[in-house]
Amino acid sequence: MIPKSGYRFSEKIMRQQTDTVGLVHRLLAASLAAWQVTGRVEREAERITLTAGEQTLKVARGAPPFRWTVTLAGRDRGVTSIAGLLRMVRRVVDPDHRTSRLRIAPSRLVPP
Amino acid sequence: MIPVCVLTGFLGSGKTTLLGRLLKSPEFARTAVIINEFGEIGLDHDLIETSDESFVTLQTGCLCCTIRGDLVLTLTDILRRRDEGMVTPFDRVVIETSGLADPAPILHAVMSDDGLAERLTLAGVVTTVDAVHGAGTLERQPESVKQVAVADRLVLTKTDLVAENPDALTDRLAALNPFAPLLTACFGDIDPARLFDARIWDPSGKLAALEHDPEKWEPVFGKRSCSINKIEPHRHHGAHDRNRHDERIKCFALIRDRPIPAVALTLFLEVLAEHCGADLLRLKGIVDLAESPDRPAVIHGVQHVFHPPAFLDRWPSDDRRSRLVFIARDLPREFAQALLDAIEAEVRETTGSE
Repeated sequence: MIPKSGYRFSEKIMRQQTDTVGLVHRLLAASLAAWQVTGRVEREAERITLTAGEQTLKVARGAPPFRWTVTLAGRDRGVTSIAGLLRMVRRVVDPDHRTSRLRIAPSRLVPP
Repeated sequence: MIPVCVLTGFLGSGKTTLLGRLLKSPEFARTAVIINEFGEIGLDHDLIETSDESFVTLQTGCLCCTIRGDLVLTLTDILRRRDEGMVTPFDRVVIETSGLADPAPILHAVMSDDGLAERLTLAGVVTTVDAVHGAGTLERQPESVKQVAVADRLVLTKTDLVAENPDALTDRLAALNPFAPLLTACFGDIDPARLFDARIWDPSGKLAALEHDPEKWEPVFGKRSCSINKIEPHRHHGAHDRNRHDERIKCFALIRDRPIPAVALTLFLEVLAEHCGADLLRLKGIVDLAESPDRPAVIHGVQHVFHPPAFLDRWPSDDRRSRLVFIARDLPREFAQALLDAIEAEVRETTGSE
């Protein structure tokens, strides 16, 4: 039997996880629009399916240490964060995109 | 630290006239000037009266594309000559770009060089816009749109040549860059203090200033209860070319009531740089970091290059919400919003924070 406090904790985690999947679903849909890639993103329970051109990716929660699992052509790949998830998705649906990396300038922002 | 001001604007928009007038004012007596002229024979430097030897003409090409390295070398050299007493000990540098320049790589050059960062700091971008031809230039020249979008100050020139107020043009400038005050210069006559004040680069000051000017604040952030709004380019002229350059450039803001975990902000900026770096013309913000509740962080970036956050001693007003202002090309607000929401949720989930 799950103690009441434990139950509440699990419930909270489940709710958080569900919310995050929903947010990722929304983010993937917004990403296709931002990248000007034609496709669709559908959610079924805890699984998200993204289809663009010939490619279909399935996104679901991953087992630790991976937070997300992406299934592409029958093969599962783990990614550790939403940032990694977006990187993998874009590599598949928009292979010509040239990425840039955040660079922190050495100069200070505000003059003294 | 010596402030560096970038003066840009499309060909014929009055940059050199403005600079010539500025250099005659006492406040600009100790100014080093770098002029980038595009073409085999440069003339602009001959049109500016100065006896100061702290005056360099870069003539090998357009600053933004071919001689970015030359700019770094020039700035390094002029600092060396200042140190050695070979030039007047200037206390300001003005870089006048060529009319065709994309200012962003020039800002990168000044922001990113390790050697320059110890001595120089960017103090702002001033963009001149011709009141007569500005609207047409914005229609035809994508460079001019970008010059307006990255500006900290917009200067409307040649206003003596137009019979009526160029409302359509000023509306369009406000839509492209609602945060840059629009100033007017007739024959280059303008108060220098309004152009290159030392805190021009400080978005907290600008945001705070806007708070006291509801007419400017509300179009961007809406009423106080409105969390997110977006400015669309104004449409006053009936039918428009859908491919118009500034249709692709949008200004919008994200506002957060809850403190943002520092790692969420970092991840957010990393993903933005990775996926939208080239299209992120300016991002400025004041952020309530969860780890620094009493000292807001000011962030500022041009494309994928960001300054380290500057922490203010205190909040500039009672409004302690995080406010991120984007001026970007082809970057939907929904993407930025969904990205921040998702990353924040993931970080909170990972750390177990509420």
